This record gives sequence, C-alpha cells and structure tokens, in this order.
Amino acid sequence: MQLLNSHVLSTLIFLPLIGAVLTYFSTNLKTAKMVSMITTGISFLLAAHVWFWFDGSTSALQFVEAYEWIPSLGIKYIVGVDGISLLLLVLTTFLMPLMLLSQWHVDDSRQKNFLALLLLLESGMIGALVAMDLVFFYVFWEAMLIPMYFIIGVWGGKRRIYAATKFVLYTVIGSLLMLAAAIVLYYIHFTQTGIYSTSLLDLYAIKAPVNAQLWLFMVFAVAFAIKVPMWPFHTWLPDAHVEAPTVGSVILAGVLLKMGTYGLLRFAIPLFPDAIQTCAPLFVFCGVVGIIYGALTAWVQTDAKKMVAYSSVSHLGFVVVGCFAVMSSGELNQEALYGAVYQMINHGISTGALFFLVGVIYERRHTRLLADFGGLAKNMPWFATILIVATLSSVGLPGTGGFVGEFLILLGTFQAMPVAAVFASLGVLLGAVYMLTLCRKILFGPLDNPENKVLEDLSPREFGYLVPLAVLAIVMGVFPNLFMSKLKPSVQFLAKNYREYRLEYRLGSESAFESSSKLDSNKLNVSVK
Amino acid sequence: MLWIVLLAPLVGAIVNGLFLRKASKNVSHGVGVLAMAVSFAAAVAVFMKMYSSNGEPQIYFAFDWLQAGGFSAPFKYLVDHLSGMMMLVVTGIGTLIHIYAGGYMHEEESTYRFFTYLNLFVFMMLQLVLGDNLMVMFVGWEGVGLCSYLLIGYWYTDDKNAAAGMKAFLVNRIGDIGFLLAIFLTYKHFGTVSFSELKNLIGTGTLDAVKLGAIGWITLCLFIGATGKSAQIPLYIWLPDAMAGPTPVSALIHAATMVTAGIFMMTRLNFMFYLAPSTMHVIAVVGALTAFFAATIALVQSDIKKVLAYSTVSQLGYMVLACGVGAFDAGVFHLFTHACFKALMFLGAGSVIVAMHHEQDMFKMGGLKKYMPITHAVFLVGVLAIIGMPPFAGFFSKDEVLWKAYIGAGPIIWGIGVVTAGCTSFYMVRLLCLTFYGDHRGAGHHEKHDSHGHASKAEEDHGNGHHHSPHETGPIMWAPLVVLAIMSAGVGLLGIPHVLGGHNLFAEYLKPVMLIPAQAKEHWEFLHAEYSHSIEMGLMGVSVVVMLIASSAAIALYGKGPKPILATWKKSFAGIHTTLSNKYYVDEFYGVTFVKTLREMSQFLWAFVDVKIIDGIVNGFAELCRFFGGVLSFKMSGSIHRHAMVLVVGLVCLLSILVFN
Repeated sequence: MQLLNSHVLSTLIFLPLIGAVLTYFSTNLKTAKMVSMITTGISFLLAAHVWFWFDGSTSALQFVEAYEWIPSLGIKYIVGVDGISLLLLVLTTFLMPLMLLSQWHVDDSRQKNFLALLLLLESGMIGALVAMDLVFFYVFWEAMLIPMYFIIGVWGGKRRIYAATKFVLYTVIGSLLMLAAAIVLYYIHFTQTGIYSTSLLDLYAIKAPVNAQLWLFMVFAVAFAIKVPMWPFHTWLPDAHVEAPTVGSVILAGVLLKMGTYGLLRFAIPLFPDAIQTCAPLFVFCGVVGIIYGALTAWVQTDAKKMVAYSSVSHLGFVVVGCFAVMSSGELNQEALYGAVYQMINHGISTGALFFLVGVIYERRHTRLLADFGGLAKNMPWFATILIVATLSSVGLPGTGGFVGEFLILLGTFQAMPVAAVFASLGVLLGAVYMLTLCRKILFGPLDNPENKVLEDLSPREFGYLVPLAVLAIVMGVFPNLFMSKLKPSVQFLAKNYREYRLEYRLGSESAFESSSKLDSNKLNVSVK
Repeated sequence: MLWIVLLAPLVGAIVNGLFLRKASKNVSHGVGVLAMAVSFAAAVAVFMKMYSSNGEPQIYFAFDWLQAGGFSAPFKYLVDHLSGMMMLVVTGIGTLIHIYAGGYMHEEESTYRFFTYLNLFVFMMLQLVLGDNLMVMFVGWEGVGLCSYLLIGYWYTDDKNAAAGMKAFLVNRIGDIGFLLAIFLTYKHFGTVSFSELKNLIGTGTLDAVKLGAIGWITLCLFIGATGKSAQIPLYIWLPDAMAGPTPVSALIHAATMVTAGIFMMTRLNFMFYLAPSTMHVIAVVGALTAFFAATIALVQSDIKKVLAYSTVSQLGYMVLACGVGAFDAGVFHLFTHACFKALMFLGAGSVIVAMHHEQDMFKMGGLKKYMPITHAVFLVGVLAIIGMPPFAGFFSKDEVLWKAYIGAGPIIWGIGVVTAGCTSFYMVRLLCLTFYGDHRGAGHHEKHDSHGHASKAEEDHGNGHHHSPHETGPIMWAPLVVLAIMSAGVGLLGIPHVLGGHNLFAEYLKPVMLIPAQAKEHWEFLHAEYSHSIEMGLMGVSVVVMLIASSAAIALYGKGPKPILATWKKSFAGIHTTLSNKYYVDEFYGVTFVKTLREMSQFLWAFVDVKIIDGIVNGFAELCRFFGGVLSFKMSGSIHRHAMVLVVGLVCLLSILVFN
C-alpha cells in the first residue's frame, strides 16, 4: 500500500503511456481494444484509490512525488493532487473507459491508432493536472495538443483540417504566450532568491512587482482563457466540436476545456494575486457576456452538435465568473469558488452525455441537423429519457448537478458583484431556451420522416456508457457533499489566502496516514537528493 | 411517517418510469394510485400528530444538501398548520385525481409515462409545501414546473403540445429568476434561508433601514416568482396554453395545486411581506387586475377548458389580491375551496370531453344533462360554488377576500372584485348552459362559429372518427367527482364569518402561521379592527345581487342554447369581441417584442459578430502572418520550430521590457 501510495500519481501518468504503446503495437484490433480498456480501467481504479485515501481535512498537496529533473536549471519533477485537481483527475479517468466503450463496435483499420491516441491524451491530461512544476506542466499542456490535433484532423468531419488547424493555432498562440511569461517569471524568481527553480511551490512564495504581475497575469490568463474558451476567444470551439468525432468532442468538453479554468485557479490567480483586484471585473464581464452570448448563439444553431458546443461557451462563462468573484474584502468568494470547481465536473458529465447522445443519433442517421429529426421519443424512449436527464442537468434544474454548480456561482457572485450576478442569472432562462428547443426538435413533434421511423432505441452497449453519466448527473445534484466534502479545505484556502498562497504537502508515502509530518520547501530538496 | 408521505410518490414514479414500461395500463394505474393512497394515509397520520400536539411545528431532518462557505441548505421539512393543510390537499385531491385518471387515460398507450410524471409531480409539490427553507421550496418550485412541462407535452407527437409545454417552462423560469434573486438577497442580508430562522430574525427583532429596504426587494423578487407559478399579469400567458395537457393534469396541476404555489409561498413568508407595504400594494393591484382581465377573456371563449383556464387565472387573482391586502388567511381559504371546486369542474369537463369523443368546443355540446346525469349534478355543485351561491364553499371564501379588499384597499379594488365576480357568474353559467342544457348540438349539427375557429381545440381530437351519442362515464371517473362535490358544497362552512354568526374557524386555524412584526403592526391594524356589521352585510348583499343578475342574464341568453341575438351583438361589437377572444393580443405582443427581437439579435450575434467579426479577425490575422511570412521568406526555412522560437524570444523580450520597465 505504501509503495502504491508513494507512486500512484506517476503510475497514473505513465500507465496510459505504456498502454498507448502496447495498443499501437498490438497485432490485432481486438487485443488493442482489450489493452486500452484494461489500461483505462486500472487508471480509473487508481484515481478512485486516490480519491478514497485523499485526506479531506487539509488543503495540503497530497500523494506528492518529487525528483530533480534538470538540476542545473532548477527544473523538477513534482506531482501532487489537492482539492482543486482531485475531482478533475477522477473525472478524466472516469470518462475514458466510457469513451472506449462507445468506440467498441468500430472495426476500422485505423482504429488501433485512434485508441493509442486516446491513451496518449489521457496521459497528457493527467500529467497536466498533477504537475506542480511549471516546465513539467508545460510539457504536458503541449502534449495534450498533439493527439487532439490528430483526432480532429484525421478522424474528423468534412472541414476537419480547417478546424484542427484553427484549434492548434489558437491554442499554440496561448501556449507560446504562457511560455514567454513563464520564462520571465522564472527570471524574476531568480533575481529575488538567487535560486533557479520552476517549482510552483517556490514560485508561489515570491512576490513579483505589481506592475510585472499585471502583465504576466494577463498573458497567463489569456492563454488559459483561450482554452476555456472565454468569450471572445471562443470561435475555435464550435468548429473543433463540429468536426471532431464524438469521442473527441466528449473529451474536449469533458476535460480539455477544464484545463483552462483549472489553469486559472492553479496558476494565474495564486501566482499573480495583486493583479486580481484590477483584472477581476474584466474577466467577470467577459464571463457574463459569454454566458448570454453563448446561450443566444446556441439558440439559433441548426446543427445539434454546434448547439451543444455553444452551450459550453455559456456554461464555462459561469465557471469564469465563479473564479473571479472578488469580495470587497479582497478575498475570493467561497461559495462562488465551490460552484466553479463543482461546475467544471458537472459540465464534464452533462455535456459529455449530450455529445454522446448526439453521437448516438448521428451514427444512426449520419446527420446532425435538427430539422432532420422529430418525434424520436416515440421509437427511442430510453434515448429520450437520458437526453431529458442530461438536458435538465445542463439547464440547472434543482436535483441535478448543474443546479449545484450554477446556483453556488450565482449565489456567491451576488454577494461580491450583484449586478454581474443579476445579468448572469439570465443564463438560467436562456439555457433553458436553447436546450428545450433542442429536445423539442429531436424528441417531440410528429414522427413523420421515414428514415427516423426505423431507428432503434439504445443498445446495451450504449446504455453502458450513457447510464453512468445520467445517474451521476442526478447523484451530483442530490448528494453534492459526497463530492464536495473533500474539496472544502483547498477551496477555502484558495479563496481566503490566494494572496499569500503557500501549499503544504505530504509525500505520497505519507499520504493517507495520520502521522504525516508536514515538510517545508527546503526539506524537499534535501529529501530528493 | 413523513418519509412515507414524501417517498411513496417518488417510489411510484421510479417503479412506473423505469421498471414498468412494458406493463399494462391497469398495472401502471394501480401503482400510481397505490403510491398516492399510501402517501395520503401517511399524511393524515402526520397531520393528526401535528394537530394533536397543539399545532407545534414539527421539523423533520433528512440530510445535508448544499453546504458551501457560510451557506447551508439541508433537506429539512416543516409540518405546521399551513403546510399540514396543503399536504392534505395535495395528497388527498391528488389521490382522487389519480383514480379518475385511470378512466380518463383508458384509451391511451404508454400510460406508464403519465403516471410517472403525475407521481413525480406530487413528490415535487410536497417538497414545495413541506420544505423548511427557501432552497427545498425552490427544488419543489422548479420540480413541479418540470412535471408540468412534461405533462403539458404529454401528447408530444403534436408539435403544438410540445410548444405549449416549453412555453410553460420558460415563462415559469422568468419567475424563477426572481425567486433565485430573492434567495441571494435573503442570504446576503440575513445569512440564512431557513424559514424558522428567518421568522425569528425578522418577526421578533427590530430591523434597520437597510434590512427593511432589502425586504422590499426580496418580497418583490418573490412576487415575480409568484406571478410565474400562479399565473398573474404579466406572466399568466402560459396557463391557458397549458390546457394542451390531459385533463386530469389540468385539474391537479393547473387548478388545484401547482398554480397556488405563489399564494402558498407568500403566506409562508407573510412576516416578510407584512414589512413591505409597497410590495403589498403592487401585489394587491396585480391580483385585482389579473382577476378582472382573465374573467373578461373567459366571457367569450368557446373551448370548455379554455374557459376554465381563464377562470383559474382569475380566481388566482383573487387569492393574490387577498395576500396583497394582508389577508393571507383569506387567500389560503380561497385556495382551499377553489382547489375543491375547480378540480371538480376540470374533472367534470374531462368527463364531458371523453363523452363527446374529445370535442372541446362548447357550441358543439348542449343537452348533456340527459346523457350524463351524475356529471351534470356534480358540475352544477361546482358552478354554484364558484359563483358564490350561499352556502356553497366559494361564497364564504370569495366574500372574505372581497371584504378584506374593501377594508384594506378601498372601494375601487373592491369594485373590480365585484365586477369580476359578476363576470365569473356569467361565464360559468354560460358554460353550464352550453354544455348541459338546451338541445344537443353535437355530431352532425355543426353550426358556424367562425370567430371561434381560432380558439384551439386543444389536442385531444384523435377520437374524431366515431360519433356515438354521449354516455355517462364509469364509476371510476364519477366517484371522485362525487367526493369533490361534497367538499365543494361543504368546506365553506369552515370559514363562516362572524357577521353571519360563525367563528371563521379557518382563520383561527391559520393564526399560528401569521406573524405581523411589531414594526409593521400599525400599518395592518385594519385587519383586526372592528367594523360595523351593517357595512359588511351590505357589501355581501351587493355581491350576491350582482351574482344573481349575471347568472340570470347568462341563463336568459344561453339557457336553451345560444340565443340568435348573440350573433347580432357579436357583429355590432365586433371590435370588443375580437379583442377578447384574442385575449387582448398579449401573446402576439410578447411574441413580437421579446421572442422575435431576441431571436433576431441572436441570429445577428452568431452570423455577424461570431462568424464575420471575431472569426474575421482570427482568419485575417492568419492571412497577415502568411503574407509577412512570404515577405520575410521564412517560408523557405519551413520549420515551425523556428517560427515558434522567434515568437517566444520576441515575446520574452517584449514582456521583459514591460515588466522591468
């Protein structure tokens, strides 16, 4: 157990990588499927293990592993997980097996490569989530791009090249900006301490000049805002979603977008706290515009997938608002921050389900135009049931996860910035407008198209990956404490202390044991040598 | 015990919805009714326990729900005189309607959906009435909206029904935003959303000006929520369309229970509303106007369910008016009697519709008394109750509302109320006559009613193929009606006013729930002041006379089928008639001003701002780079690495200059 605990995060990163290689070199597709499924299954179990043993009474970083990587430059291999990243980690590994299940029936000759790419992507995502070193993070951040580029560019729809290029260019511009800012930050750290270090734990500890913070914050924040995507950096998203294959969209909406908001919370806010007071109103403004704008543009879409894609712009707008609800005391609002973290997970579940559902009818009809459907509730009642549940979570009906996230964000934002919250709550109405339109066009009305009449309801395999999501959407709404209780110290600590952010940590070998001694930063370097 | 009340309908819904999809109609009906009966029986037990312990509010804690920062909202329930009564109404009338629905839905396929939604509705409604904090109430508040959406669109294969369901949900959501904002404000200023804690904080303490101002806004926002759920101006437009749903749904959701949620909520928080006199003025005026406008529209409708729908809007207006003048007990009393007689009339109308093979146009009915004696008898009781014929239930409750309106809001509002009562008598007697008396005009006696052609025949017209003579329904349908008829006749006796020698037991019963904070005592003194009995008797006399005149007029005009002179009048007052039968064109007005504008704006945002401007900049930027790339012949070197490298180095320099400047 101790051995497992001390290396569990590294295992989580590299297991999918090994799985990807094995999948790629499998002799036949069947083996490849089995290998990838087993890999993701084990990853999920490992993540569940982390969740289970995670100590929810402290804001400390847990399951930490740390090694020198390039000592001369101060670059380290540090991984760890805290309340901000814990659920995202579980979500990522949870969605992977479901995605593989949704691909189980594909017998394409290239499918092996596709599975390998998915595993590669999983490795990148997990790495980015647990990395606590700027360079190390950056490597994984970029590494996520490559598989996604191929997933869209090779397995995508008609305009896949345009979409993939747009996706990469947008993101690369953001990444390069971030890299430049990271280098400057690294230099500032060196001038202040005389030590080369890219460890986040070290970087949190310095205090850059206010002017510098402002610029660096803007650069970091824009890089993450593109990923979110925050209005007005969102136009890559609809194209990418529409062209991406179903699984690509699920992973994009489910996890990749959250990297943006996660980055805001992990990097932009605690690294440059003095910039927050100045910049928060701007970001809240963009978030609120995104909520309304995304909802309105979603409403007029004729393509079901594009509609769901634009809905992400709206939902992620809520998350951005929740991240930047600064109180007059200078603290971040706790309720809003809880909501933001929760909404990230919930959006992964409900929008993931929606993309899966659109995929289900696309596979049957090879069209996603709303006008081609109608009355499907008649011959696909189970499909209808699950679509309604996903819709309800998406529109934030009480009793679903969507409500918990959106409500807490609005409640908290109202305490901090009431006007913004009032405008943001229009999203509650507008979200229902486009989602119910979607349901009505697909499920209701006469079943008069002969091509629709012969459609069959969900197969057991489709049940297999949709039911967990639907159930989770409701469980997250009724028992939010199951998920939130372990986040509390981290969220609270970030909200209150982001201006003096110092993360304590526990080595993996000590995690889950009561007698964990908390080490300070210097000791870490010693213990590593 | 309370858990049984709450969970029985939920279990019923789950069993029907997930496990009995292939089961026969009788099984799904049986499960639905069983769940309701169990729930009702348990509710009686819970009620008795509460009542026997001197009305001490009983608190039941289930589990923690939302906890974040300082905010906490557990699933906690409160049974007191108010919610106990509502619980009995919801489960009791709910059980009757479930029984009836088995007969009504007999010809349908896949009734499992129907009973799933109906049971789920009851579960949500119980959350609404029993919740001990605003959040649990909001769960029910939106939950019943969901069930209403699903049930209105029950016959979804007709797009019109799906549209009506969606309209109901969206219009309600506008109100729900008001409710949400009220929650935010409450939490901000009082740090809690629990009813008991709020009652302690607000009811007993002295509040400063800031808090009083906040209460003004909170109550106003809550009232916006109430205009959505309880179908008041300006958000009432969804309710008439909601008649697209099956008739038992109209009876349960759109007459007896869900639509009264606004009145219930205001009564629950009466101690806050008492502190906000300006909000109360708004409420009283909106209530009176809604009552009046809806009643005038009901005068000319030809669809039997539409008449009942506008009548419901109008009666809800009375209840809201009562709340607005501080007489929450009168509002709830009217809510209670209305639940009985309106459920009765909707179900009666349902029986008629079934008998007429899903014809809803009253001008194609007539003479049904002969064919359906039981339905006629119970319907007559319902009509007598709603028009306020003493001693039927509606007389006492409506009169209490009007009296409180007179002393609280003055003779003008009272006058509007009395005129509305006149309209009510007229359209209800008209409905009764057109449906049950005169000669039968159905099957083959098609008369021309062009101007009514547009009143939608709601959607139950799939039985048009066969025309037999109407027949009485089976006992499964008329038995619940008889029970409701007895209640409609009798429950008014619970509230006989002092002036008629009674003790107004109902108001006494609700007294523990009412709390006028000390700061507001002066303003509401009139509620308990002594008035001369002669004025009260006189006003009562006026309204009875108005009722009798209006009813006689309706009998004269419609008693033996519509009089020919009506057609002439229709021509000479064509303007008024068209305006009324088109419901003052409110739907059209909203359609153009809000929906169309918003739609066009959205189209513009997408097709122009998104595609042209933002993407234009992005694509233009790419073009620009390509151009410069060509000029500087980086293209030749071809390596992306170098591009990126140059870019990063450049950026680092730029940032360094900015940062270290």
